[in-house]
Amino acid sequence: MTQYLIRRTLGAVLVMWAVATLVFFMLRAVPGDPVAAMLFDVGDAAAVAQLRAKFGLDQPIYIQYFKWFVLLLHGDLGNSIYGSRIAVSRIVLEALPRTLSLASLSFVIAVVIAVPAGIISAVRRYSKLDHTVTVVAFLGLSMPDFWVGIVLIIVFASHLQWLPAIGYEPMSQGFWPWFSHLILPAIAVGTAFSAIIARMIRSSMLEVLKTEYVNVARAKGLMKWRIILVHALPNALIPVVTVLGIALALLMAGAVVVENVFAIKGLGRVLIGGILNRDYPVVQGAILVVSAIFVFANLIVDVLYTVIDPRIRLD
Amino acid sequence: MRNSSNHLDKITCQRMQRDFDDAVDFDPKDPLFGLDRNSFAGPQLERRTVLRLLAAAGSLTAFHLMPGTVREAKAASGGTLTAGWAGVGEIRTIDPAQINQVLEFQISSNVLSGLTHINPQLIAEGDLAKDWQVSEDGTEYVFNLREGVTFHNGDPFTADDVIYTYNRSKDPKNSLHSRVVADIVAMDKINDHKLRIKLKAPSASFLVKTLERSSGRAMTIVSRGGIEKLGLQQYGLTPVGTGPFKVTEHTLGQGLTLERFDKYYDPERPKLDKVIIKPIIDAEPLAAAIEAGDIQLIGGNPIAPELTDRFTANSDLKVSIVPGPGFQSLWLNPWRDPYKVADFNKPVDELMKEKGFMVRLAIAKAIDRDEYIKQAQFGRGTPAYGSINPAMRYYYDPDIGKTSNQRFDLAAARKLLADAGYPNGEGFPKLKVVCTPSAKREVTVLANILKRNLNINLELDIKDFPVLLDQFDTMQDWDIVRVGSGGDFDPDDGLVDWMETTSKFNGRRRDKSKYAFGYFSDKEVDQLTEQERVTADPAKRKVLVQKANKITSDKVASAFIFHPADILVHRKTVNFPDESRIPGLVDLDRTSIS
Repeated sequence: MTQYLIRRTLGAVLVMWAVATLVFFMLRAVPGDPVAAMLFDVGDAAAVAQLRAKFGLDQPIYIQYFKWFVLLLHGDLGNSIYGSRIAVSRIVLEALPRTLSLASLSFVIAVVIAVPAGIISAVRRYSKLDHTVTVVAFLGLSMPDFWVGIVLIIVFASHLQWLPAIGYEPMSQGFWPWFSHLILPAIAVGTAFSAIIARMIRSSMLEVLKTEYVNVARAKGLMKWRIILVHALPNALIPVVTVLGIALALLMAGAVVVENVFAIKGLGRVLIGGILNRDYPVVQGAILVVSAIFVFANLIVDVLYTVIDPRIRLD
Repeated sequence: MRNSSNHLDKITCQRMQRDFDDAVDFDPKDPLFGLDRNSFAGPQLERRTVLRLLAAAGSLTAFHLMPGTVREAKAASGGTLTAGWAGVGEIRTIDPAQINQVLEFQISSNVLSGLTHINPQLIAEGDLAKDWQVSEDGTEYVFNLREGVTFHNGDPFTADDVIYTYNRSKDPKNSLHSRVVADIVAMDKINDHKLRIKLKAPSASFLVKTLERSSGRAMTIVSRGGIEKLGLQQYGLTPVGTGPFKVTEHTLGQGLTLERFDKYYDPERPKLDKVIIKPIIDAEPLAAAIEAGDIQLIGGNPIAPELTDRFTANSDLKVSIVPGPGFQSLWLNPWRDPYKVADFNKPVDELMKEKGFMVRLAIAKAIDRDEYIKQAQFGRGTPAYGSINPAMRYYYDPDIGKTSNQRFDLAAARKLLADAGYPNGEGFPKLKVVCTPSAKREVTVLANILKRNLNINLELDIKDFPVLLDQFDTMQDWDIVRVGSGGDFDPDDGLVDWMETTSKFNGRRRDKSKYAFGYFSDKEVDQLTEQERVTADPAKRKVLVQKANKITSDKVASAFIFHPADILVHRKTVNFPDESRIPGLVDLDRTSIS
């Protein structure tokens, strides 16, 4: 197991390097000069050239890459080109807790809705309840998260005025300020995922419920809830966990639109803003963190398999 | 006027009438006649000068003549104002040396000071400068600085801080705005609170731009102690200044907290205890936030035009609309067919014989700007026929819409297009209009108007701003670009920055061996602009500015579309007084909450 973890971690570092390198060269291949855009209404061509030299953007691309990589090895993600040249690590680290909070709460909401819905749907197959869950799941999948977000704002913030419409408060300000700011965006993001997960649990459960060991459990006269929750569900969860791992990673980086709607500056917004402004260091830094999240989320999923199913041995 | 002032005593009424007559009737042709150099010395312009400037701008009202025109906020002092900053995800800097957006200097204007600050009439008033004298030739200024002013960190403010700011700003490695102070040749300390500044040549915009605390940025006074202690990165987030508010917290992407600076030089200001600024990038959450009361005021980028009616209809909100600075245009690439013009240095009559120019003019004349403003801007804005905008007040020519070659005339536009070889648009090539995603709807409206009026087809080519700028700067790969300017308070912003052959936007990164100029070049405009920028006398400058502006309009430097409206929205519980209503800015020092 330890060897496996070391091997996977080294592999993960390699993947992150490959992603970051690819992004480095792709970004520079995209048209648009960040310095010219920044100096749009304040600088002339000479000022643009001077600032390009200051940021090293006038140097050959392999030199830029080499310098960036040396800094990276020292744990330095560089500084943003825009504004007061804030350190990328600071920009990313300030955004990360917001993304983590939003992703975690969305994940919890998705799982809390999906697991019972999936189980009920599988156990009461083809019943009215199953059809209802199916329809609701498809509705959840069909509604764009930004639209759900706007509707939630209109209802709960504008009309009822129960919850704040926008913004984020860190947990250090207290649980309620944190929760009240996050619950609406988390519902907006979590709804679609809950639909996907519910459908997965349903089909996985149906497969498991047909197996012989479940029949044996029934024959032994075990209570129905015990058969479902203790014997069937853990096995049904094995394929679902794979999706959950990827879903969590997707939630971490993919809630950009909802972050916009609720004015939460998370990692996704950092990334999009960086791309639009051609803020190379910010994009490279954010991509590195996002790729790390994806790679390690997958690693955690693999490790989780051994917990859920003891038959799996990673060595 | 007398009828409207029944509640005023007889002596006050007589004085108001006298002021009004003096401002307006001294010389009907030119209300500025008779003002001399001393009239324009500080700390504030003389009342007589101000009234005449207002009269000249057509904005003199009884309000300005009433005693005590600086009204105090009605509400009690104190309280916290939460403001949403529109169209932005985070405030990356409020260090004036690095600011490149209006929404950033809207904040710095509340935190840092300059030697001068413009008022709602865009007239320079003393800020950290108590008063000043100007030499006969207009190249030397002596400033008396306010005494007893301190920075937020407790350091005293002296002439050394002005010189430190200048030295920092003139170095392009330290500041984006070195160009703004390029005309300064020397800055000498006479004593701790007296300073002499020498210029290469007289500069008309010196007081209202170069030394201005917000829009100029180059001479917004920074704290040497603050920069040395905090470092440049942190100073950019929590700058130390002498302004009415100090920044106590700034979390990227989450917002800023400004707190009242108790030692501000004016003990009456600021009124508020605290201001919280939250960046909100999307329109609908912004609207929901102010409707729900999560925020009480909107600053930052202009709000989406479709929201204005919604806000106006909301009885909890107050919407204030004034002419905003800036202009938006369709820039027609003069190096491309079908509107190629290789040389603009000809009388308009001669240009009118060239097919390329005919097409340019046909497009400009076929744009019904009123219809465009109604459809694309929901009725808010002013038709544009040049870069000089109504927010510049005195320098703006309100009749340009009647006299410009670009005035809407459909029959003439169709005839021009036919004479150029494209009767009813037949054979006219499909042109690409490069615009940013946010301008898509507006350009679609323009494309529809031109399709209907000239039967020509424009295809939208949507690009991110850096890509659009690359194309615009290099004069390559574009037929038409839709871009413009904002935050223009002085005629130099319209003429020097945009309309000269050497203007910073005029194809600044073009291949000069291939393109002699960028989008426009006219020797007369160059000469007039160089004259107006060194002409301190407003009356003479106005003539030069309007003449240059008219030529750019007649020769279709671009197809000018509209000047934006400046829209300020706040809840009615917020008392945002008229004397703080400076177009483009959100000065909160006189604002209070009831």
